[in-house]
Amino acid sequence: MADPQVHIFGVRHHGPGSARSLCRALEALSPDCVLIEGPPDAEEVLPIAADSEIKPPVALLIYDPDKPQRSVCYPFAVFSPEWQAIQFAMNKKIPLHFMDLPQSVQLAMRAEQEAKVSANSAPEGESSEREINKTDRAVPAAAMDDTGIANSPGDISRDPLAHLARAAGYSDSERWWEHLVEHRRDGGDVFTAVLEAMAALRDAAIQSSLQQLEPESEARREAHMRQSIRQAQKEGFERIAVVCGAWHAPALAKMSSAKNDAAQLKGLPKLKVSATWIPWTYGRLAFASGYGAGIESPGWYDFLWARDHGSSHDLATRWLVNVARLLRREDLDVSSANVIEAVRLAEALAALRGRPLPGLPELNEAAESVLCFGDALPLRLISEKLIVGERLGAIPDDTPSVPLARDLAREQKRLRFPPEPAQKQIDLDLRTATDLDRSRLLHRLNLLGIPWGDAQRHRRSQKGTFHELWAVQWQPDFAVALIESGVWGNTIAAAAGAKVRHEADVAPDLQALTALLDATLLADLPEAVEHLMSRLQAAAAVASDVGHLMQALAPLANILRYGNVRKTDTDMVAGVVNGLVARICIGLPGGCGSLNDEAAEEMFRKLLETHAAIGILQDPGHTAAWNAALRQLADSPGFHGLVVGRACRLLRETQQVDAPDAARRLGLALSTATAPAHAVAWVDSFLRNSGLLLLHDDILWQSLDDWISSLTADHFTMVLPLLRRTFSTFQIAERRQMGVRVISGPTRTPAGSLNPTDFDSDRASKALPLLAQLLGLNWEVKT
Amino acid sequence: MSNQLRLHAEQQYADELKALGQADTRPRPPSWKLSPWATATYLLGGKLDDGTVIMPKYIGDRRIIEIAVATLATDRALLLLGVPGTAKTWVAEHLSAAISGDSTLLVQGTAGTSEESLRYGWNYAELLAKGPSSRALVSSPMMRAMQDGKIARVEELTRIPADVQDTLITILSEKNLPIPELGEEVQAVKGFNVIATANNRDRGVNELSSALRRRFNTVVLPLPENLDEEVQIVQQRSEQLGRALELPAEPPALEEIRRVVTVFRELRGGVTTDGKTKLKSPSATLSTAEAIGVMNQGLSLAAHYGDGVLRAADVAGAMVGAIVKDPVQDRIVWQEYLETVVKERDGWKDLYRACKKAE
Repeated sequence: MADPQVHIFGVRHHGPGSARSLCRALEALSPDCVLIEGPPDAEEVLPIAADSEIKPPVALLIYDPDKPQRSVCYPFAVFSPEWQAIQFAMNKKIPLHFMDLPQSVQLAMRAEQEAKVSANSAPEGESSEREINKTDRAVPAAAMDDTGIANSPGDISRDPLAHLARAAGYSDSERWWEHLVEHRRDGGDVFTAVLEAMAALRDAAIQSSLQQLEPESEARREAHMRQSIRQAQKEGFERIAVVCGAWHAPALAKMSSAKNDAAQLKGLPKLKVSATWIPWTYGRLAFASGYGAGIESPGWYDFLWARDHGSSHDLATRWLVNVARLLRREDLDVSSANVIEAVRLAEALAALRGRPLPGLPELNEAAESVLCFGDALPLRLISEKLIVGERLGAIPDDTPSVPLARDLAREQKRLRFPPEPAQKQIDLDLRTATDLDRSRLLHRLNLLGIPWGDAQRHRRSQKGTFHELWAVQWQPDFAVALIESGVWGNTIAAAAGAKVRHEADVAPDLQALTALLDATLLADLPEAVEHLMSRLQAAAAVASDVGHLMQALAPLANILRYGNVRKTDTDMVAGVVNGLVARICIGLPGGCGSLNDEAAEEMFRKLLETHAAIGILQDPGHTAAWNAALRQLADSPGFHGLVVGRACRLLRETQQVDAPDAARRLGLALSTATAPAHAVAWVDSFLRNSGLLLLHDDILWQSLDDWISSLTADHFTMVLPLLRRTFSTFQIAERRQMGVRVISGPTRTPAGSLNPTDFDSDRASKALPLLAQLLGLNWEVKT
Repeated sequence: MSNQLRLHAEQQYADELKALGQADTRPRPPSWKLSPWATATYLLGGKLDDGTVIMPKYIGDRRIIEIAVATLATDRALLLLGVPGTAKTWVAEHLSAAISGDSTLLVQGTAGTSEESLRYGWNYAELLAKGPSSRALVSSPMMRAMQDGKIARVEELTRIPADVQDTLITILSEKNLPIPELGEEVQAVKGFNVIATANNRDRGVNELSSALRRRFNTVVLPLPENLDEEVQIVQQRSEQLGRALELPAEPPALEEIRRVVTVFRELRGGVTTDGKTKLKSPSATLSTAEAIGVMNQGLSLAAHYGDGVLRAADVAGAMVGAIVKDPVQDRIVWQEYLETVVKERDGWKDLYRACKKAE
């Protein structure tokens, strides 16, 4: 080592073994200054790490306040050596500094690069924006790989200790480290050894490789670290502990000339950045989630770290007991005898492989063979719940964060709705105030592009509007999304409202607006709804597609007629609905011209929906206008059969057309001169899904009957195939009943039964009080 | 060369076992002929310090054999699961040969396996003449294994009726076998253990009771992971078998083996090797063992009716026989495969023609 004042500890990021040795070494050294490989930009929020309320895993988030997507995370787990070094320095009140190249510089350089790339590749504004976004997404992954460069020679620089462990014949570098440390009681020596090993590795890597690593940025980072060490020396510290990734250790031990380093760091661009702590999850620490410096088994490492220091003989037992408990929770039978056998097998396997203690592979194999009876499926569960783990970190309430994040935290607390990393199904009953607020919160977050909850379709019934089913799962990167959304407002409600207003302004068509309206109504943002309504009114005024108008009408009509559990203000809706109905009625005949089969099918559906909506509204003016529009359709022979037929049918249902007239229209549609395709569509539309209706609706039956009776024998033969085609869509039972009804001749409903004088009103009124009670009415029994 | 059609593992590989025994300095569990490490080496192959080459008996994932050996070393019974033809019996035989030097203590499980085959029977003439005595007792392989501290094998455990299976529970947990007729019991000597094999496809025939199941460590033997591995297995085994049967034919060309294995893998997996075409799978298992059988049959055809060199025509008949087990369904599957895959593939014309002729 070049300088007796400086003590370099090359560690494995997120390695519990490194962390434990580091703790011991720091204790022995009692340094007066600690330097850690980390972003100096975050030093102002460092004191929070000493807060008793902070619970790892957490991450330092460093972002550009002007463009929050440009951000970097430095995750820490409780077993991260860096975290332990921070804790050590905080507890002992020793000056603590981060020494990596500041992210203000690294982010600025990246921004420059991106600007260059996008300027070259994409001249149009829109696509260049996307380009930046894409690279931004990649930024955190690459930047988090703070052990080395993302794509450096093989994986040597990423996890050099694992490389050494493999060379020594260990599959698990943590266990290797442990043995290394346990055999040598003095931790300091280990780090010297690591330093030497790393120096050799680095030389080998530089000689053999390829030099395709970006040497510049790496060299710059190391130069800055050296400068920081010099700064500390200049300040007169005598025992400086330097904690860095093992890969960097040799570069820091050999101090090159200060002038070179200074030159390398000159004239770098700079950005203004903010730093804060955010909660992290073990899932995010794992390799599987695409995090470069990730580890395979955060849960296992946590377990290694948490057990009593020193005694490792009962490690297999404790781990397998955890496994057994997990399997039992999932209703898989595991007895204690099984656990005993699994432990024995794991130990025998380790012995067979010449390892002093069973590692994770041995434990997994023992679990598979003994506890899971050779079935690999439960192993996946073990991996998910135990080996990776689901722990979510926590940060103190007063952590500097964007107001939006604070508001969310407040809301979560108020609603007793804590974020959890595991996916969970929840069923909200919107009749209770808390659940209603929770639902609003989830809907608002969805509007902000933070999909904490995913609305599920209700399985049991779609009629119950007061139940809402959600799958909720908190992701750490929502913290970034929250910061991004900070531009919209300082509370969730305000931000969601502002975003909706913005989206309403840029929405391209009526359809987008209605979709947005739907979401906004659910999120209960009255001001935004008001704005949306005026936009909707305006868009409806110029909308040329009557289909969109019809689509918008149905949900609005529902809200207007019944209100909803969410207590939406219905006055606002009424104005829009009136406008919509008027426009639909005027535009309908025009909108039904020249449709092809698919479009007609769509229109058929919309006709039904709109008809139902108009029925719900119960406004005589609307109904009259709608009937007039339908009549226009029914009278236009040029339209698609599906539309005309259904219009006719709807008119018949509402008695706008009498039976003889309906029969006439039926005859007209099926007359010989009509093209068969049109005739088929017409009769199909007239009778579709109506097998039962036809049986029980005298009006419809009569129309059909009248028409058929009027046919000549020749004509009947001719239309028979068309009719048969429609009738074949009915159920067999329905057809049989129709046959029976036809055979039994014209049956008129006996008029007598409808005569109200036949009621025994005394007997009927006796049931009324009970009915009133059932319906919850305030009924006074009149005697 | 001996006259026996098939030698026991410990006879066939006596040299290897002997060399391993000499080189093996590691601690051996009581009554074990080899240490666990040497046992694993015997199965997985390797080269000893004195230059003896140990042929791999099991080609595949190393950890499977390690788990199996470690299981036996911890005194737990071993259950080998897998679809037919995944070398369950083969592994069991070699394990017992390596550990006890004796692979003959075998109980074959059938629907008619009775308690006597797992415990003991009687010599009825002796029994009637002189009454119950140890002379009248006929011991089962299981009982002998217990007395000698050896490994007993139970083949096709799930085929054995459930009530007979449960006889094993006492043997496995108490490690003794009471003989109430004589008021005696046989206590297992150290080194006794049981290796059972069972078929995945037979699940539900006589499902193991949970009491019995939890006395076994279960190891699932998978189908070979990739083409090369499977080709290696087929090549090695068919060469050995050809030698054992003293076939005059030349060892099969790698190319021919590769083709048969490819056909088997593709039909088994329901998709072509390049992953582009979906195929129907026939009802046959199409295991590696069957591929070995096909090669063997082809070899003897080539030897006795051909020119001694294995050609597509020699393989075709055996291959069709192995694949088409159900004369209606499988024939359709096979013909589709022939027309859509074999016919189009470069250099497979001869196989296509031979297969067409074989039908």
